[in-house]
Amino acid sequence: MEAGGDTAAPVPGGAEDLEDTQFPSEETREGGGVHPVPLDPEGEGLEETGSKDKDQPPSPSPPPQSEAPSSTSRLWSPAAPENSPTRSPESSSGGQGGDPSDEEWRSQRKHVFVLSEAGKPIYSRYGSVEALSATMGVMTALVSFVQSAGDTIRAIYAEDHKLVFLQQGPLLLVAMSRTSQSAAQLRGELLAVHAQIVSTLTRASVARIFAHKQNYDLRRLLAGSERTLDRLLDSVEQDPGALLLGAVRCVPLARPLRDALGALLRRCTAPGLALSVLAVGGRLITAAQERNVLAECRLDPADLQLLLDWVGAPAFAAGEAWAPVCLPCFNPDGFFYAYVARLDAMPVCLLLLGTQREAFHAMAACRRLVEDGMHALGAMRVLGEAAGFSNASSASAPAYSVQAVGAPGLRHFLYKPLDIPDHHRQLPQFTSPELEAPYSREEERQRLSDLYHRLHARLHNTSRPLRLIYHVAEKETLLAWVTSKFELYTCLSPLVTKAGAILVVTKLLRWVKKEEDRLFIRYPPKYSTPPAPSTDQAAHNGLFTGL
Amino acid sequence: MRKPDSKIVLLGDMNVGKTSLLQRYMERRFPDTVSTVGGAFYLKQWRSYNISIWDTAGREQFHGLGSMYCRGAAAIILTYDVNHPQSLVELEDRFLGLTDTASKDCLFAIVGNKVDLTEEGALAGQEKEKCSPDTDAGDCVSPRVPKQVQLEDAVALYKKILKYKMLDEQDVPAAEQMCFETSAKTGYNVDLLFETLFDLVVPMILQQRAERPSHTVDISSQKPPKRTRSGCCA
Repeated sequence: MEAGGDTAAPVPGGAEDLEDTQFPSEETREGGGVHPVPLDPEGEGLEETGSKDKDQPPSPSPPPQSEAPSSTSRLWSPAAPENSPTRSPESSSGGQGGDPSDEEWRSQRKHVFVLSEAGKPIYSRYGSVEALSATMGVMTALVSFVQSAGDTIRAIYAEDHKLVFLQQGPLLLVAMSRTSQSAAQLRGELLAVHAQIVSTLTRASVARIFAHKQNYDLRRLLAGSERTLDRLLDSVEQDPGALLLGAVRCVPLARPLRDALGALLRRCTAPGLALSVLAVGGRLITAAQERNVLAECRLDPADLQLLLDWVGAPAFAAGEAWAPVCLPCFNPDGFFYAYVARLDAMPVCLLLLGTQREAFHAMAACRRLVEDGMHALGAMRVLGEAAGFSNASSASAPAYSVQAVGAPGLRHFLYKPLDIPDHHRQLPQFTSPELEAPYSREEERQRLSDLYHRLHARLHNTSRPLRLIYHVAEKETLLAWVTSKFELYTCLSPLVTKAGAILVVTKLLRWVKKEEDRLFIRYPPKYSTPPAPSTDQAAHNGLFTGL
Repeated sequence: MRKPDSKIVLLGDMNVGKTSLLQRYMERRFPDTVSTVGGAFYLKQWRSYNISIWDTAGREQFHGLGSMYCRGAAAIILTYDVNHPQSLVELEDRFLGLTDTASKDCLFAIVGNKVDLTEEGALAGQEKEKCSPDTDAGDCVSPRVPKQVQLEDAVALYKKILKYKMLDEQDVPAAEQMCFETSAKTGYNVDLLFETLFDLVVPMILQQRAERPSHTVDISSQKPPKRTRSGCCA
């Protein structure tokens, strides 16, 4: 992007309006995505940036102790080993380091921290939070300094680093990034991290805890959840899409089967059941909402995505789980009770969300109904086959190869339809093929993710949004395009010509059109059949009651 | 529908190895550690009975749910880590209270896991056929760390629990029988633990069935529970 290789082409219809502004000579800067390239100035004017930008070190080198109002350190050391015999490999969130002077720690592209208002560390993506008290003290100082002037700090731009601050109740979230993500994207990520925390504790109980005891060590309650946060943040870099586009990824499935599964979910109810979701590998097969419980309250896609991430946790791999979970967008202060089980020893996962604390056995009975129904439909076999194709990195995620499109030169894409029936808005979706070679290694995936984020930031720039970007990078060429009908990001071979790229995109759009019934949930059922269930097949019931 | 006949609950601080113990028993393997979310339900066929086993999360976050998982339990396995004395203390401080919802004649087992990490455990692993499980080979010297919690501490806790539950020592299995030291990693004593409990729980199922017509759960009764069953144990 800093190569200037993009132009607005505000004509949604014609791809030939692409303008050639690529500067191959600058491509080398693109390579690692981590070079100290000057940032886009976008959005900067909107941010409250302290005048002290320049004083901030580009990475959180430990300031002189006196500067940090760190009343925190004394609280740390004694408690940890005693109270939790538990702070062992699984709970420490990023290896040994954590000392801000540690080279490896400093070399991370992106840090995410969660701390309490009192400056007490709660979570750090890398390193151990204990070592970071001083650093976190500085962050608290920055926030309260700006606050004392009656303002709110939102971001600091310091050379190649962006620091984004987000205050949520008594929690302060900070992202510090050298990636090409925009401040808005980083803020989105912080919101997702916050939602994750709320989903395990509820906003009300977090507020209550800190109202009661300001220097409470929230790690006690979050212990064990750090891995979930790690996975969330990793997914942004390794498999971009869901958070970037604010949409869920669906399992490609023939429409009749998906409809039948939706009908099955709506038929199988239990007392207090609010939502049933079938998923595999973090992707949605279908979902059904119970009208009487979630009446008129649409499930927010962010909540659905959170649930999809949540049920992907290794803790749910065995047995039938029963656990409370909060849906932050639906009601950040209350818990649902979730029944989670893998069906038939398959990666297919059933989530039943209810309001009754003691309903485990009713949910378990409901699961057996679903399971039997799926056997009757032959769905297990089909889903098993779907899960069969996929590379090692996501062994349980059914997916398709980009080859399926039949457009040579196309390496990867993200496609989010926008031309969806009105009642469909509740379920933003996107589709993308499996990341295959050359995007099989971590660095390559990061590079692609960076490119997608960069293009996304340009398309959605608040002051100067673009419709179309043709971008030649060092190792690939990208084309991003947003119209009233879709939002599309394509990654093409670096050797593609502009005419070739247009051809590929045309082919891709035609393919998506042809496959859309399979790729997306075109007509998501809205509600379950009401309780006092009629046992007859009421396949379309949900649709009609919803309208 | 497979209706469980009886219920066993695993309780204990996080990271003491509750999930690992259960996985070792159910699936004969020692998987990577995962942090349990809420509680996980397993069903075990034992003879002709379905015994449900609840593996609960030790995380404080889920503490409020503990009493729900324990409701009506026939046996509760209180698990600690022999290398962390605090985990035994937690059993009394945090977890014992959760068992109030369990069945009146609920059995308690106290299990010290991770003996493979102690010098005694290493020995027991090698020579477990020679030593009887209860033998405390504490005087052997080896490079491993000495065990931090002795079996006697667990026995003392067991007696405390009986007092707390106002149970008579005569009516329940002896402390020696109900305190175990295990290793989910090597499998040491794991089968013994579960199968001892199953054998103890089965007569309770039978008794329950016999009493069923008149037997409804009376949660309001605050009388000290009376043990009618005795000497059922192998």
